[in-house]
Parts: sequence; C-alpha cells; structure tokens
Amino acid sequence: MKTTRLATLAMFIVALAFAAAPAFGHHTLVAIYDTSKPFTMTGTVTMFDWRNPHVWFFMDVKSADGTVTNWGFELNGVNVLRRAGWTRDSLKAGDVLTVEGNPARNGGHTANARAITFTNTGQKLLESTAAAANPQ
Amino acid sequence: MEKIESLIRMIAGTALLLVFALPSPAQWVNYKTPGIPRTPDGTPDLSAPAPRTADGKPDISGIWRVNGYQYNIGKDLKPGEIVMLPEAQAIYNERRETNSFDNPWARCFPGGVPRAFLSPDPFKILYMPVLKVTVILFEAVQTWRQIFTDGRELPRDPDPAYMGYSIGRWDGDTFVVETAGFHEKNWIDSAGMPGSDALHVTERFHRKDFGHMEVAITINDPKSYAKPWTVTLPFTPYPDDELVEYVCNENNRYPTAK
Repeated sequence: MKTTRLATLAMFIVALAFAAAPAFGHHTLVAIYDTSKPFTMTGTVTMFDWRNPHVWFFMDVKSADGTVTNWGFELNGVNVLRRAGWTRDSLKAGDVLTVEGNPARNGGHTANARAITFTNTGQKLLESTAAAANPQ
Repeated sequence: MEKIESLIRMIAGTALLLVFALPSPAQWVNYKTPGIPRTPDGTPDLSAPAPRTADGKPDISGIWRVNGYQYNIGKDLKPGEIVMLPEAQAIYNERRETNSFDNPWARCFPGGVPRAFLSPDPFKILYMPVLKVTVILFEAVQTWRQIFTDGRELPRDPDPAYMGYSIGRWDGDTFVVETAGFHEKNWIDSAGMPGSDALHVTERFHRKDFGHMEVAITINDPKSYAKPWTVTLPFTPYPDDELVEYVCNENNRYPTAK
C-alpha cells in the first residue's frame, strides 16, 4: 500500500512538471530538443520547406572562426503556422534571420525555432500563437 | 440623379466584388462560420443557448478544441484517482524517462481515444441523426471516428483498431459514447499513460450552451489501472476557422533513433 502511495505521489509530481510542457503539434518538443538550453543564432536561409507534419528551414551559420555550417530548424505544422500568420512565402533563400530556439538533444546541427526575426526589417514571426501568449 | 445613384451603386458593387475576389492567404482559416449566434459586434456569442437538432437534442456539431490537456489528461485529478498497475506503471516510467520519444503520434499514427481530442489542433464533430452516425474529423494527423447511433452493439472480438469502435445513445441531453476494440499500442496522453486491448472508454458529451461543452471521459482498462477513472474536459468552439489538410507522412523528419 505504501509503495502504491509513493508511486502515485511520484506520478503526481511528474504530472505537475509536465502540465506546463510547451505545446507542439504532433510530437513532444522535449523528446528531441533541450528546452533548458535556449539560444539565438543568426544566418542566411538556404531552404524553406513548407510541409507537414512540421515545417523546416535551413540556414547557413558562420562561426567565429569563419567556418559555415548548415543548420536545420523545425517549426510547428503548416496548420499552426498559418493560424499564427505565416504563409508558404514567409521565408526565402537569402533571407538573413536571427532564430530563437533550442538545440537537438542528439548534438546534431538541428534545432527547434520558437521565433525568427528578419535582420533587415526587424519583423518577428512566432512559431505558434501559443508562443506569443506563453514565451518559453 | 437616379442615373448617378445607380452608377455609384454599380461602382461600389464592383469594388466590393473585387475585394472579395482578391486572394488572401489567411482567407480559409479566417472564414466566417455561418449560422452561429453572434453579439452585435459580430463576436461569436459563447453564452447563447445550445443549438438543437430536428430531434430536439443539443447539437454537438461544430469545430471544437480542447486546450491544456495534451501532456497530462489527469492534471485536474487528485492523487490516488489514477492508480496504475505495476506493468502499466513500468511502461509509463520508461516513456517519462525518454521524454515520450516513442510517441506513436510523432510517427504519424492516429492518436486513439481519447488522445485524438488532446492535440492543440481542432476537430469537427458532425452529428447526423438522419444517417444515424456521428463523424468526428480530426485535423491532427488527419484521422476520423464514426459513432453509430442506429442501435447496433459493440462488435464482439473485432480486429484491434487505433480509434476503436464506437456506439452512441442519448441520456437526457447528454450524448453517451461507448468505445472499445483497441489494441495495446495506444497512449492515453502525450506523457504516455498506457491503454491496453482491454480499454473501454465512455464519453459523455454535454453541451451546456453555444460556447461550452463538458465531456466526461471514463477510462476503464483493468489491465492498466486498478480502477476506472474519469476526467471532465472543457471543449471550446473554434469558430471562424476551418480544418486544414494535415498529411503527416508528407515530410516526417522525426528521428528513428534517440
């Protein structure tokens, strides 16, 4: 009985922790991305892949020593982005952006993008309307 | 004078037509839902009476959304209301330790019942008393349910299904749906509470007014839980929007290995 109570308590604590987990359409954000390591990164868009289940864009990022790495950024689904004001023309190759995101846990050159800001206009786009209400 | 008036009307009419014919990227998702109660300023009137169908029952049809229960369907319950059996607890713990990596939804499988409701994405309920079936179209992973109201019973020994087999009946103004025939692969929520092939779900849909539907969901799975448990979720209308296509396998880059 004691064990059951402890298990229930443990479950309740875990449940509380996850009640506040950020919403991501079709998979759990924390399954792939480390939300404890938010970063910003600036680079030049090489491709915008406006498809489901999640939209991606790719960006060349130059490091301090001058090497260029192509990073992939995952956004929300087409459905959520459309409702948040994005269109299939929101990004194009050559756009210079600053991305606010979280890196993939596997250490590869992929990340989640919560928000992007265009360097030339300062326009900001969020990956969902929920992100606007609850910035992580 | 009359000629000038009709000319003005013609010009205004043409201008109006042009405005409505112009393509707008937000047009589909911002399309005004016809036939819903509105306040004088055009906002959907959430406290208006529930619409009724020809059979006199509250019409549960419409586009709805449940927000805030995606990760933990039981977050409003008291400790001890959900008691997992040891095997289910072990499965749940493993899913928690891996941050839900094996989530079937992430690999484009249907969400199951009740989890298909728990996406942030909307769904459309079509209650059709003449056809004696209620259809639910889920935008998330683009799946659907059929709830038969023609008096049939649940199938005996059916092929296990992600969305199960559903029958519905009225209990006063509450639409009661029984669903069974699942396989053991379903997750109850994104945190990973397990459902087995013994899972039987009872949903009680109660539309209180236009803007509020309470849905009490009872999970009875004697292979996973020591006793049945019930959560009541608030369904909120999602007016002036429409379901959009969601072909999950179009470009799924979800990793195959951790």
